[in-house]
Amino acid sequence: MSLPNSKVSLTVVRPTDALDLDVLYRAHAPVVARWASRLAGPSADVEDLVQEIFLVVERRLSEFRGEAKVTTWLYRITERVVLDARRRDRFRRWFSRARSHDIERALSSPQSTPVDALERRESSEQVYRILDRMPDKYRTVMILFELEEMSGEEIAAFTGLNPATVWVHLHRARTRFLHEMKRALGREP
Amino acid sequence: MTRIDEQTPIRERWTAQPPGSGDEEIAGALLRVAAEPRPIGEKKLAEIHARLRSNARARSRAYARPTRPLLRQVLVATGLVLLGGTLSASVLHVLHTASLRAADSAARASLPKGKPNGRSFANAEQAAETAVPAETPDPVPEAQAVVDPPRAPRRDAVRETRGLRATAQDSLTPKRALALAPPSGSSQLAQESRLLASAISKLRRDGEPEQALAVLDRLGAEFGSGALAQEATATRIEALLRLGRNAQALELLDGQTLSGKGVGREMLVARAELRADKGRYSTALRDFDQLLSVRGQTDSVTERARYGRATCRAKIGDWDGARGDFQQYLDDFPQGRFADHARAALAPRSR
Repeated sequence: MSLPNSKVSLTVVRPTDALDLDVLYRAHAPVVARWASRLAGPSADVEDLVQEIFLVVERRLSEFRGEAKVTTWLYRITERVVLDARRRDRFRRWFSRARSHDIERALSSPQSTPVDALERRESSEQVYRILDRMPDKYRTVMILFELEEMSGEEIAAFTGLNPATVWVHLHRARTRFLHEMKRALGREP
Repeated sequence: MTRIDEQTPIRERWTAQPPGSGDEEIAGALLRVAAEPRPIGEKKLAEIHARLRSNARARSRAYARPTRPLLRQVLVATGLVLLGGTLSASVLHVLHTASLRAADSAARASLPKGKPNGRSFANAEQAAETAVPAETPDPVPEAQAVVDPPRAPRRDAVRETRGLRATAQDSLTPKRALALAPPSGSSQLAQESRLLASAISKLRRDGEPEQALAVLDRLGAEFGSGALAQEATATRIEALLRLGRNAQALELLDGQTLSGKGVGREMLVARAELRADKGRYSTALRDFDQLLSVRGQTDSVTERARYGRATCRAKIGDWDGARGDFQQYLDDFPQGRFADHARAALAPRSR
């Protein structure tokens, strides 16, 4: 599946450029918003997350030495902020299991009415419930590879993992995803 | 489970697989649903940008304001005078304490042992009462958010509540803000209430929620769960809602026990809407039920609660309940702001 604008922004801010929050925001806010949305899932308040991320960026602007790409630096801040937000939410979230009819509904053909859009959002929440049962390291790799359509090498650069480790994590994530999905569909105890 | 040697090569995406009935095809289809982008519109991004810039400006005003040489000299001189005064007072205090100790020990020697003097306790209580601000500031929540399925309270909805904001500001005119300022004194309570009054003033009079939050942070750091912790929390919630930081506001609201009366009603409906927005329909319904348990009200809170409950009921599949609420909404608020949505929900659907 090819998603519009699903690749990482190609706008490059050179290390020698004076980093400015406005410049960074204009160049990278859309991609940061998309990362936050994908990593946090459909129930998250993406606007809050984006604001929080750029507040951190602003605080740490002076610490950026240009040793990594700006996008990598921004991604790591995004991942950290999203992780913190998920931790905060986790302890009070009702962690209900994905029901099989919800999963089956998610597989139905795409519709266009507002109600169907709502149903699809809820189906997307079910998918994230499956993803949320994985350890963060597997979940992140799965999201970046399957949803964000990054290559293994890009994932390695963004997360700081060894490329071989990325594939190992992806393999384990897939195995777990299939297992949880079949449980949700009632095909496996 | 699919065997390892039957699995799709690791570098091929499941989401790129054609539809099918195999496990991986099903997983791919599911992931494609989740992969549909849910981007923030340019307008929202611009709003966030504006908030970030105003935040940066506020800080630069606070910390980087150029100080004129004369002003600097005056400040230094004032500081020296204050320092000298503090030192003198300390010396006098030490001397005075020593003389009091001597007098006290002489008095103890001349009095029989017994209970402490009742009058001194009464005086202490009186002193404590005067340290408490005469009026506790009203925490007026700004969450005039709207449950508008599937998206409920958003920043713009919060900001659209000019009417309520006007009420909030009317309730704290500069004159009244000064009246709210606690009596000068050095007790812990007096200091705590002074900081809280400053936060409320920044929030409602100056319209600077970020600065109000900074003062509240200071309040929290210095006094922790002090005597005015509850009021501080209410003020923080209001500030967060004004900034559109709904998730954080909800986190705080979740920890509150709210009554369905007065200001509690506003906070309760805000919490219910924020919970509904997060898909926490059962807890949202509890709040909406509490709000609607009082019959005969037709204020804006009731309007929001009626529509919000209808929406939540529809989301959990309680169609009869939802229809009842939508109908009741139209009976009570035929020209209400959600009337069109309610009519659309009640209209027969053709699929």
